[in-house]
Amino acid sequence: MSQPSKFYFEDVVLHGVLETPAMTITEAHVALYAGLSRDDPRETGAVPEILPLCLTTGLGWRVPQPPLAVLAFMGFEWNVVLPVRVGDTIFSRSRTATKRSMREGGVIIEEREVINQRGEIVHKGKFTFLVAKRPA
Amino acid sequence: MTDSRRFFDDIQVGEEYESPGRTVTETDIVIFAGLSGDYNILHTDAEFMKSSIFGERIAHGLLGLAIQAGLFTRATQPYATLAFVALRWKFKGPVKIGDTIRVRARVTAKKETAKGDRGVVTVERTVLNQRDEVVQEGETDLMVERRAGA
Repeated sequence: MSQPSKFYFEDVVLHGVLETPAMTITEAHVALYAGLSRDDPRETGAVPEILPLCLTTGLGWRVPQPPLAVLAFMGFEWNVVLPVRVGDTIFSRSRTATKRSMREGGVIIEEREVINQRGEIVHKGKFTFLVAKRPA
Repeated sequence: MTDSRRFFDDIQVGEEYESPGRTVTETDIVIFAGLSGDYNILHTDAEFMKSSIFGERIAHGLLGLAIQAGLFTRATQPYATLAFVALRWKFKGPVKIGDTIRVRARVTAKKETAKGDRGVVTVERTVLNQRDEVVQEGETDLMVERRAGA
């Protein structure tokens, strides 16, 4: 049986841009997130700032390319620009900003923005991943 | 009613807190995969992960981040937080099913803003497991209300 295809370090295009589908954040997302983490919303209708960040990782799987062969999620920087409310519909746009080859795999730095239904950038940041190279 | 929240003016640089521990379970990982839609095999395929360097499934890094955010609220009297404004975060090691994590936090900076009614508090955080290994660490900037009339 063949393995599902993967997107390796060599396949990543520097400055390549990917947009995810959008999703509406509901009261159920907030309740599930708060129950899991106990990171509660500060008021009714508010969305805890870490939740959209978590949702962008799943949205990132719903793009028309195979999943990135991530060996490790090394870290990230994240800035909250505008609040996100229950009922908002968000998607994310990411761009490969840096590609650095290492002996074992390579480092990819991705710039990511979360955008709402009015086209406003609500959150943005940079993610650093260690990605596998294509097996020889 | 007295407001027990701690305002920008009350918080001092150098304050330290340590949260209770919380055991990360398989259920946490399954719920987080369902919530986030991140079904990466690292978190969902027990058989594949047996032959990985981790030897078993590991928790999503962002699940650890979310859990520490909740633990932080149990580590100290709540801040009068208006918003989480920035995060700088590193994943240092895996969190496995059954690991018990806790957060140790220290206030490293306070900055007033142009708006006189709020300020930014920077909190350095270290997430530790039951063996005191650092699994995650970073800094968070919180926008905190000033005491009225302060």
